[in-house]
Parts: sequence; C-alpha cells; structure tokens
Amino acid sequence: MTKHLKIIDYAVSSLLRRKFKNGAIMAAYIGTVAALASVLFLTRSLQTETTALLQGVPDLIVQRTLGGRHELIPVDYKAGMAGILGIGTITPRYWGYYYDALTKANYTLIGSGGETAPLTMLEGRLPQTPDECAVGAGVAALRHSGRSGQLILVDSRNTGVLFEVSGLFTSESDLLTNDLVVLTDRSLIDFFGYPPGLATDFAVSVPNSSEVQTVAAKIKKLFPDTRPITKRELVRTYDMVFNWRSGMMLTVFSAAVIALCIMAWDKATGISAEEKQEIGILKAIGWDTSDILALKFWEGLIISLTSFLTGVIVAYMHVFFFNASLLAAVLKGWSVLFPAFHLTPSFNSFHLLIMAFLTIIPYIASTVIPTWKTAITDPDSVMRG
Amino acid sequence: MALIEVDNVVKIYNPGLADELTAVHAASLSIEAGEVAVLTGPSGSGKTSLLSLIGCMARPTSGRILVDGKDVVKLPERFLTNIRRQAFGFIFQQFHLIRELTVLENVLLPLFPLALGTRTMNERALSILERLKIDNKKHLQVKKLSGGEQQRVAIARALINKPRIIIADEPTAHLDRKLAQEFIDTLDQLNHEGKTIIIATHDPFVHDNPLVTRSIVMRDGQIERIDTK
Repeated sequence: MTKHLKIIDYAVSSLLRRKFKNGAIMAAYIGTVAALASVLFLTRSLQTETTALLQGVPDLIVQRTLGGRHELIPVDYKAGMAGILGIGTITPRYWGYYYDALTKANYTLIGSGGETAPLTMLEGRLPQTPDECAVGAGVAALRHSGRSGQLILVDSRNTGVLFEVSGLFTSESDLLTNDLVVLTDRSLIDFFGYPPGLATDFAVSVPNSSEVQTVAAKIKKLFPDTRPITKRELVRTYDMVFNWRSGMMLTVFSAAVIALCIMAWDKATGISAEEKQEIGILKAIGWDTSDILALKFWEGLIISLTSFLTGVIVAYMHVFFFNASLLAAVLKGWSVLFPAFHLTPSFNSFHLLIMAFLTIIPYIASTVIPTWKTAITDPDSVMRG
Repeated sequence: MALIEVDNVVKIYNPGLADELTAVHAASLSIEAGEVAVLTGPSGSGKTSLLSLIGCMARPTSGRILVDGKDVVKLPERFLTNIRRQAFGFIFQQFHLIRELTVLENVLLPLFPLALGTRTMNERALSILERLKIDNKKHLQVKKLSGGEQQRVAIARALINKPRIIIADEPTAHLDRKLAQEFIDTLDQLNHEGKTIIIATHDPFVHDNPLVTRSIVMRDGQIERIDTK
C-alpha cells in the first residue's frame, strides 16, 4: 500500500511536469465524454419526463382522420361508441396549438373539460369562466404573466382576447405543462373557431387494460374514419423518437470517441525520448518493470478517470442546469422547443458504466502497453536511446 | 572470492543486423571488495558497455558475470532489479537526473518502490544531502543547479540505497579541475567506508589518481591489460 501511494505520488508529479501535453489530452477527453454523457442524460431525462406525462394519458385516444390527416371528430360519435362493451367513459377533448409571435413560442391550448390527473397539480385553480386561463410556468415566464396576471392571445379572427390567469401549473413534469394554456372548453372552441358539434379528439377509458386493443379494434370497425391510439403505442412512439434522435447524436459523437482513441494511441505509442530515458533512469536506480507499469497505470487512470468524471459533471450541468442548450434543439424536437423548460435530473447508471468502460480502459491500455515494451528492455539500451 | 568476476564476456549490439556491433569481446577480470577500479581507454573502446554489464544494466551476449559469487547473467529481470537496487549505486556521465524534480525528490526516487515510511525516507535522504553539502538546495529544481551541484545530487541518489558498489561513467567529463578534485575526495571517503568503486573514464586526472587500485585498459572492445597498484 505504502509503495503504491509513493508511486501514485510520483505519477501525479510526473503528470504535472508535462502539464501542457496532459492538459490538452484531458481537454479533448473531457469534451468527448461531456458530449456523449449529455446525449445520454438528455435522452434519459426526456424519456422520464415522457413517462411521467403518459401516466395521465387516457387508455385510448380516438381521433378522426381525413386523407390521413387529423380532423375534428363529431361529438355524435360518442353515442355510437358508448355501446361498445369494455369502455368506461368517453370524454370529448378540445385542444390546439398556438404560435405566439410576440415570444416566438408554440403553446398548447387545451380545454379544461377533457383533462385528467396531471392537471390537478395546480397553484390557484383551473379556469371557471370564459375569461380565465391557467398557464404553465414557461408561458408565465415568457409572457410575464404570473398568477393573478393577465394574458392576451390573438384568436382565429385575429382579435386580441384578454384572459385573467387563475392558476399556474407546478407539475413535477415541466415537459407536461410548461407550454400549456388551459381555457374552458367553451372559451377554447370560440378562440379557435371550431365548428359546433366537433371536438379535437376523444379520451376513452378502458377499465380492463387487457381489453384496450379489442376496444380499439371495435371502434375502428364501427367508425372506419377514426384512428384509435392506445397508451402503449404512444409510449413506444416517444421512446422510438428519442432513441432515434439520441442514436443519431451518439453516432455523430462516436466519431469524437474514435478521434480520442487515435489521439490516445498516438500519444501512448509515441513515447518520447525523454519518457524513454526516464524509464531507463528509473530502472537503473532500482525500479522493477512492474513498478514502472504501475506508475503508467496510475498516470493513465488519473487522467482518464479525472477526465471522465469531469466530463460527466460538465454534461450534468449542461443538461440539468443549462437546459442542454447545445443539444436540445436536436433531441427535443420542434413542438417543445419553445418555451424552454427545466429537465428533471435522471440518468441510467448502466449507460454511464458502459461509457466509463469504453473510454477509461482503452486509454489505460494504450498508455501501459507501449510502456511495457520499453520497460522490459535493459536500462542500458533504454538510456542509450 | 572476488566481489565481481567477469568471465569471457561478449556483448554484441543488434546481432544479425546490418549495424551489428561487438562492443565487448572476450573480457575477463575480477574486482575485489574495497577496490577502486578504473576502466580506461579511448572513446569507443567498450568501457561504458563493460561498465553496464558489470552493473547489471545490460545482459551479455555470452560469458558469465558473478556478483558476490552469484551468476547474474541468467537471472530473471525481477532478481536482477533487486541486485541493481541493493548492490549498486550509479553515477552517470550526463547525471541522468529528472530535471524538473527537486533535489530531494531526485534523491528519494530509488526508495519509492521500497514501501518505506516517508519519515524514514526523508531522514535517509537528508543525511546524505547534508554529508554532500547540498542540503541547503534540497527544494530547488535540479535544472537550476550548477554542474557540480547536479553531480553531488547524482552521488546522493547513488548512495541512498546504501550500495556496496559505486559505478561511475565518465564522472568528471563535465567538471572543471576543482570540482573533479572534490569528486575524487568524495570517492576517497566512500572508499574508506568500504565501498567498492568502479569508474569508466578516459580522464588522466582520474585514472592516474593514487586512489585507483586497479586499472583496466581497453581497446576495440577488448581488455588490453590490467594494472594493479
């Protein structure tokens, strides 16, 4: 133990002696790890947010399609569906998207009548009169309209409509409520100018989860112009989207990993004459080959572990304190691009372990192996160069 | 029994290649404990190569080298390191100090793999530095020292493991006459303490010094003659 502490002590001083070279290696290393870890953190966090969001999603969402596109659905369909066995409740929902030219942000406007569990997490209350609204934290921040403030939005007739803010969402999942503006159903229908007797979609509850697929098939059979979407399909779609995006980013950043490996290998195989001579000196004064390998192992471990941990911390701060400003546009997608929201920290330890394995081990190996080739030769040859 | 016996040793560098070089050819000699032996001869005569072989820094191509009666030629690397560490202290022509380290750190280097306590290590190093009158510069980087001071650091490092044999390769090559005399005085003290000293040099100031008890003259890789005083 004492011996290794002394060797570690020497390894640190040895690294400090070559601080510019090692600093450059560490900077490249940290940058690569930070980029990779940012993608992993962001993907995982978005998936966690999505999972939280989907907890409040109905068992089935029924939309009407026309020419393959989402259309408003007649509220009359409700009566026809009500006869299908297995269905609990059918709730028409009213919602739409609103582009706010003032803040250059997309908001999601929904009617309060069709919402479920997640919207109960509210400071204040849901709107009860047509001139009231509840807003997510992001909207409130962008429009400087906190609780008891006012919000002016431009309706489909290009007329400004003034709403009193009756409540502010403080959901655990910012992703769920951050860009949300909740109006009463009546107010939302007027705002978007929806024709009477039409809803955006239906939220359908199916008490027995094993019957969801059967119920969806029956709805599709009864109303061929509808598209029933199950909760499971939604989860899968979100997962696929995030996995695809993170996969794309990881592919891009894997080039950086390869560059790092090449640099590490180049650095390691190209042991300088000065380093060779130092190995020769150490051997001549009584260091064993194993002592020199231990020295290089500790040097490699100190550089790679410090860089890895720093890279992970940088990534954590980038994603969770600075909202992944460098990656968010690619991974979040357009619909939630604005307003910005804070991600809930969440990461997969297994992914981090794999990343540690793939970056630390090759670096140490590329440091120790060439040293071994030098260290097993006679100190006389090493010192003669 | 001689402390060191070299028996018909041959050293060929790069055997079988175009630049093959026979540095030492059929060398045989013996050195008794407490002697001051000098390997001398012109540049390229094989002094440094033979010195490396005696100090277990290189293995001969053929022949035997016995240290304390033990044939070291075929010993595994680990045992050879132990012998190098316990029996020999090396003073190199270029000093081979680590220039960015301090005087104290350089002197402590041979002790790092020995698992000694920091206090013991420091005490041992400081006492040697005091003796060589360089303790006042113990925290200075070696690169800031003069040639003579660097040599004293090299001597201190060679002595830190309390070796029985001091090996020095062209130790006065970079010293003026005054410093060379100081070096000889230091060797004289060490010799009086029982250390065996083996020096490769072509400096007459060293090989003609009364301190020397055995002079081994080399030419073209071969031992031309051995003079015992």
